[in-house]
Amino acid sequence: MNVRDTAPEGSVLEEVSFELNGHTISRSVPAAASLLDILRASGQVTSARAGCRVGRCGACQVLLDGCAIPACLVMACQLPGRRVETVEGLDSDPDFLTVRDALAGANALQCGYCTPGFAISLVAGLRQRRQGHQVDLAETVAGNLCRCTGYGGLRRAVGQLSDPGHHANADGPGDSLLGEQK
Amino acid sequence: MGFDRTMETRGDIVTLDTGSAADSPSAVNLHRRIEGRLAYATDQQELPGLLHGAILRSAHPHARIIRVDSARAWGMPGVQGVVTAADVPGLNRFGIVVRDQPVLCDDHVRYEGDAIAAVAADTREQARAALEAIEVSYEPLPVISDVTMAEQQAAIHDTNGSNLLARETLLRGDVDDAFARCAAIVEHQYQTPRQMHAFMETEGGVAIPDGQGGLVFRVGCQSGHRDAQQLADILGLAPDQVAVEAVATGGAFGGKDELTIQPVAGVLALQTGRPVMIHLDRFESCRAGMKRHPVSVKITTGCDAGGRLLGHRVEAVLDTGAYASLGPAVLANYLDHATAPLYRIEAYRVSGRLVYTNNGVCGAFRGFGGNQATFAVESQLDALAQKLGIAPTALRRINLRSPGEPGSRSQTVRWTAPPADVLAEAAASPLWSARHAGAGRWLTGTGMAMGAQGNGLGDDLPDSGGGQISLSPAGRIRVAFGFSDFGQNIAEAITCSVCDGLGCQEDDVEVVLGHSRGPDSGPTSASRSSVLMHGVLTSLLPRWKAMVCHQAARLTGYPEDGLEPGPGGLFLNNHQVLSYRELAESSDPDCMVAEASQDFPVAPGHEQPVGRYLQLQIATVARVAVDRLSGRVRVTDLHHVTAAGRVIYPPGYLGQIEGAAVMGLGMTLTEDLPTRDGRYVADNLDQYLIPVFHDAPRQRVDVLDNTPKDDPFPVRGVGELGIEAVAPAITAAIEAATGIRVRQLPVDPGDLLMALSAQEQDL
Repeated sequence: MNVRDTAPEGSVLEEVSFELNGHTISRSVPAAASLLDILRASGQVTSARAGCRVGRCGACQVLLDGCAIPACLVMACQLPGRRVETVEGLDSDPDFLTVRDALAGANALQCGYCTPGFAISLVAGLRQRRQGHQVDLAETVAGNLCRCTGYGGLRRAVGQLSDPGHHANADGPGDSLLGEQK
Repeated sequence: MGFDRTMETRGDIVTLDTGSAADSPSAVNLHRRIEGRLAYATDQQELPGLLHGAILRSAHPHARIIRVDSARAWGMPGVQGVVTAADVPGLNRFGIVVRDQPVLCDDHVRYEGDAIAAVAADTREQARAALEAIEVSYEPLPVISDVTMAEQQAAIHDTNGSNLLARETLLRGDVDDAFARCAAIVEHQYQTPRQMHAFMETEGGVAIPDGQGGLVFRVGCQSGHRDAQQLADILGLAPDQVAVEAVATGGAFGGKDELTIQPVAGVLALQTGRPVMIHLDRFESCRAGMKRHPVSVKITTGCDAGGRLLGHRVEAVLDTGAYASLGPAVLANYLDHATAPLYRIEAYRVSGRLVYTNNGVCGAFRGFGGNQATFAVESQLDALAQKLGIAPTALRRINLRSPGEPGSRSQTVRWTAPPADVLAEAAASPLWSARHAGAGRWLTGTGMAMGAQGNGLGDDLPDSGGGQISLSPAGRIRVAFGFSDFGQNIAEAITCSVCDGLGCQEDDVEVVLGHSRGPDSGPTSASRSSVLMHGVLTSLLPRWKAMVCHQAARLTGYPEDGLEPGPGGLFLNNHQVLSYRELAESSDPDCMVAEASQDFPVAPGHEQPVGRYLQLQIATVARVAVDRLSGRVRVTDLHHVTAAGRVIYPPGYLGQIEGAAVMGLGMTLTEDLPTRDGRYVADNLDQYLIPVFHDAPRQRVDVLDNTPKDDPFPVRGVGELGIEAVAPAITAAIEAATGIRVRQLPVDPGDLLMALSAQEQDL
């Protein structure tokens, strides 16, 4: 499928070039085409998924110049010269591997449809933290929805990432009443 | 292993943790999902010749169709196929219980999600654009939106006579006499919302012509075999011409139990001879997809001066929407749970009505009517305790059933722990020690509720299933079941069970799920998979062990009775003599295939439906904080005490309880999809609010397993247990914090705020 074909008939096409997972890609697309559609039509990305198309669910979260953003909210005309990363391009990224192991270790997923989006948000947080910013990792996933897990495993994974010495079974940082009583 | 697979919980209470799931059999599977390498039903973009389908939905919630003119759509760019009702080759109806839902509507539309026509085109946008060229003339009919008026209005299905689809009454003893002897009686009205499944992957997938006139479906679903049967009837194909292939499904929760887009995709694929993908966007999923039945119920419950429950009267109305789907079975399960399965009640009259309206379609949803009933029943117990001036836990203790006693419908029941022990653990929860309400902005309180949950479809529905074990050409122990995979950890539970049974290691095992041409395990629903899996493997593994040892003995010359399967291969006196790979390479693969199937365990000795035989329990303790300024409720902690048999795979058990509980929290606090004149008032996740990370409470899941040693069913299914008691536990906690009991869900912060200020004015 070509993105050109996803445009309503008669749309004006623009030539757009940006960096996707380290490689330049160029596409002729309508200016208002969403990055989500461009990615899914690229044949290179399935991890960005349409959950709502209104920027609410985070299932299409990608890194745009290092910042996590839902791909459904980015238009083609905003892309030239920008750098886009998805989990497909992060297989040797140390922050991603840290996140992946934390999510797997905490069984922080079930169906997994939303999971790459969570991973992207957390990678962005770890990178900011690495740059010396104060980052509340729980805040980074505030825009990601998960319907399967009740966020239990995600809380454990975020706790682990926030404080690597954190015992994986203690639930959330600090003040767990249940934890104190155990 | 990061967790102890043979964890012995018998007789002890154990708090579950995930240990390190990274070392578990699911690690590879988890990594594929995290790295985006797992292809879901709606990711199959690379099929040669793939077309994209779009569906024209009704413009009215209720209307007569006068004419459908699709001629102009054929001329639209990229269009390869256009179908209307006349193009459905077989039966233009589907439905698991009653086949009353049209694939494409012919004479009437009955809800705003009804499908009228569909287009297949080279691109999704072209298909959508072509829908605009289809002209439909309607004669609008009165919209039946108020469930209380529906039975007095003209029937929306002329085949049914009235809008009453089903009515059922369960009776025990003389209710009038029982109420006459009560010292305390409480009567209240309760209402639960129309909850949306909100799986992250909306309904979708692809229908692929097989080149020989048949079709292969790769669509997110819960029951491949049953779907294949319905689809063969719809498409006018022989049963063996329809295959449903396993594909990763991005959440289901009951919402993909019924057919979704398969019939329309199939009709388009047959017409065009090309693969057709349909993937609903969230707007269309909200409008057309299945929902949870809203229930309105009046309950009267009474007890004697000592707190013993004597009389219980339930009158419930369930809005099933435009089509039956699993509605009649939901009604049956609602009523079963409304008899209060955990408690002795001398006499009850429990009745319910299932009513057609033009409000969407309701069907299966985790809990399946049971949790709606438990909300009302548990709230009634709290009200009675208050009236008697005793603690809610005390009232429950007086009335809980003992193991060995019959169930609430006089059936034989198998519990996995004494209900009183579950209550005692909940009563000792550390959350109670912080139950005093604060004086600042936040009012805090703690409450609890209990729930029972049966396994299996119920004994008025046929329920059986099987599995298969074989040695793959590469020498892996291949275990096949027909269950769908939504990441619910059934694959890990199977792997653990096979390793336990054969002494092999996880790498030796390959689990194959969900192909309609593989073993039929029945639907992936009703918390039934684990029970069936355990039963089938219990019969399969010893047989297969004998087959493998026999074959290995022939190859090696060692005595058959000295050989044992173990990690990596066959052992004689603790020395490996043959690897599974060597065994596979030198054997005919067909000589080591074993199959087994069994009926789902039901209560013995009954002709009539009597309620579930295998019963689980949960007690949920909730702690909430109510914001005095906004009326909003935060659930800070949930502590669950569960009794659900042996834990096979701890991270999976934990995840099921936690996930179901937060789904129940959503239903209690924010989730509802009301209709106005038959149209939903919300159409996406920005208006329909499911819990986010910050809404999720701290949770603790305890396991109490006192299953009798001779119990033939030590493994139970926990997919629904976690949702059972959450809502009444939260409303009990709200009452502890504020003195206000909420009986209509979801809790309305505005109403709560008004009630709080009314209280303050009274002071």
